[in-house]
Amino acid sequence: MNTIVEMKSLNKFYGSHHVLKDIDLTVARGEVVVIIGASGSGKSTLIRCVNGLEMYQKGSLMVDGFHMPVEADRLLGGERELAAIRKGVGMVFQQFNLFPHKTVLENITIAPMRVRKKSKSEAEATALTLLDRVGLKAHAHKYPGQLSGGQQQRVAIARSLAMGPHLMLFDEPTSALDPEMIGEVLDVMRELAADGMTMMIVTHEMGFAREVADRIVYIDQGSIMEIGKPDEFFENPKNERARSFLARVLKH
Amino acid sequence: MIATALKWSRHNLFGKPFDALLSIIVIPGVLWLIYQSLDWALTKAQWDIIPQSLRVLMIGIFPADQAWRAWTAVIIIAALLGAGLGCVFAFRSRHAGFLALVWAAAAVLTGTSDLINLLFMAAAVAVFAGGWAVTSYIPASRRALMAASFIGLIAIFAVMSPPGVGLWGGLLLSILLTLVTAIVSLPIGILLAFGRRSRFSSVRIICTAYIEVMRSVPLILVVYWIWILMPVLAPQWNLADVARGMIGFTLFYSAYVAEYVRSGLQAVPRGQTEAARSLGMSEFDINRSIVLPQAIRVVVPPLVGNVLDIFNTAPLVFIIGLTDFLRAGQMILANPQYGDRTYEVYSFLFLTYFLVGSLITYVARKLEAHLARGSR
Repeated sequence: MNTIVEMKSLNKFYGSHHVLKDIDLTVARGEVVVIIGASGSGKSTLIRCVNGLEMYQKGSLMVDGFHMPVEADRLLGGERELAAIRKGVGMVFQQFNLFPHKTVLENITIAPMRVRKKSKSEAEATALTLLDRVGLKAHAHKYPGQLSGGQQQRVAIARSLAMGPHLMLFDEPTSALDPEMIGEVLDVMRELAADGMTMMIVTHEMGFAREVADRIVYIDQGSIMEIGKPDEFFENPKNERARSFLARVLKH
Repeated sequence: MIATALKWSRHNLFGKPFDALLSIIVIPGVLWLIYQSLDWALTKAQWDIIPQSLRVLMIGIFPADQAWRAWTAVIIIAALLGAGLGCVFAFRSRHAGFLALVWAAAAVLTGTSDLINLLFMAAAVAVFAGGWAVTSYIPASRRALMAASFIGLIAIFAVMSPPGVGLWGGLLLSILLTLVTAIVSLPIGILLAFGRRSRFSSVRIICTAYIEVMRSVPLILVVYWIWILMPVLAPQWNLADVARGMIGFTLFYSAYVAEYVRSGLQAVPRGQTEAARSLGMSEFDINRSIVLPQAIRVVVPPLVGNVLDIFNTAPLVFIIGLTDFLRAGQMILANPQYGDRTYEVYSFLFLTYFLVGSLITYVARKLEAHLARGSR
């Protein structure tokens, strides 16, 4: 099966506010999809629906072979499928969200031990390999508060990878970082993409988007306005609003 | 030295005309009060009543030949308190001098010359230091503290019960009541706090109602209600007055603990739960390992303050016929032979409550500073 995420006319409302309108989007395994759009356009909400942090009300959503229940069904015991989906989908947040009362190593090992029932030694071995991969092996026994923003975000990526995800969601992973730290996080993401990880990324880093994306999704006011190959999209956007958005963000 | 004192008073006491006027009225008044109090305490007061009635003040009508049972309870309490302190404050060798001072103060204050009492006191202080050191140096032992507290309470009940639960009294009863209430209301309060945030409206409504009802009635009413209700609800248990008092206090203070814990839960950022959920952790694991530890950290200072509240309201158990510390003092004065020693006894009660209260306040303030420094 080649498809990992399939959204069919997905709709989400906050009360009477229509946040996502008839979203149709398919992501293939191994694909890197970058979602861009103005703030408040619904791009974060869109990827938060994929692991069920946000609920949707209408349409359908398949993730990793499981059907994500709509809001009404989740309240009636759809939680088991949700747990199955979350085991296979990692997520990296804008604010890192590391657990401040646990060391870097504990941050990474807690989920594999609790959810995957791995032994402590096995989980720690995996964690140290991952920390080595993001260049932070020496910081394993520090607390998150002792690390810089860029280091914390790399730990957060390692924490997600420790669960062995089939899909990684990135929700503006560099927006809370000082400019000099953005590069180190993007480097880790580039390597992940090169290794064939399936990724859905919300970002404002246009250069990075163009470089790593297989497809760009442009979203505005809750609707997908354009989906295209990065070169085509950035050189010659077909949608009027995409064109003015790019003119605004690429100016500086 | 004198120059700095003059400079200090020039700035702080006589800085502005109104300050000066206030100082001129207040300072002589305070000095006069201090002189009068000291004059009475050192020359007129007959303190011999305190050592003479020390046993009644400390353990009420608990039989004298069973005092070792009371001392065992005190030692268990000391170990638990020390272990609790060690979870947040590292024990250092310089604290040993401070503990020796506490022991000396207790000896002087009570005026006891009984060698056995002095030895037991020293043992309690030593065990306190021991418990403090264990949790300071062996972090893994901290996890066992809640379980150890419950085992300790059961041990205290086991050792104190044989002569008769109805005989418990004095300062020891006040402390036991405080300890039982503080320890048992913590898990109940945590459950209530989570219950109030539950997704299931039935649980949420029950917990909210419980908390709000308890917080809107006086403690004394709850204690009295439980006292008259328990024999009706569970006649076969035949619960002692002491146990019924403890149940009343625990039910009442659980609601307050729940509200403190809930404020802590609200202080944990949403992103923490979202990150844990996105890792596939169960709601139970998230609450136990991610949310609760961060919430408790925030509310440790108010929870310590809550313990002081419990201790200071403990005298209310006189309403169900128990003889706590304050009541024990009044009992001594009821003896016609001691009728003229009212001021001595009440001064002793005042001083003891004041010392215990300031100690708890001091620890709470230190904890607050300590935890604020640790959080980033």
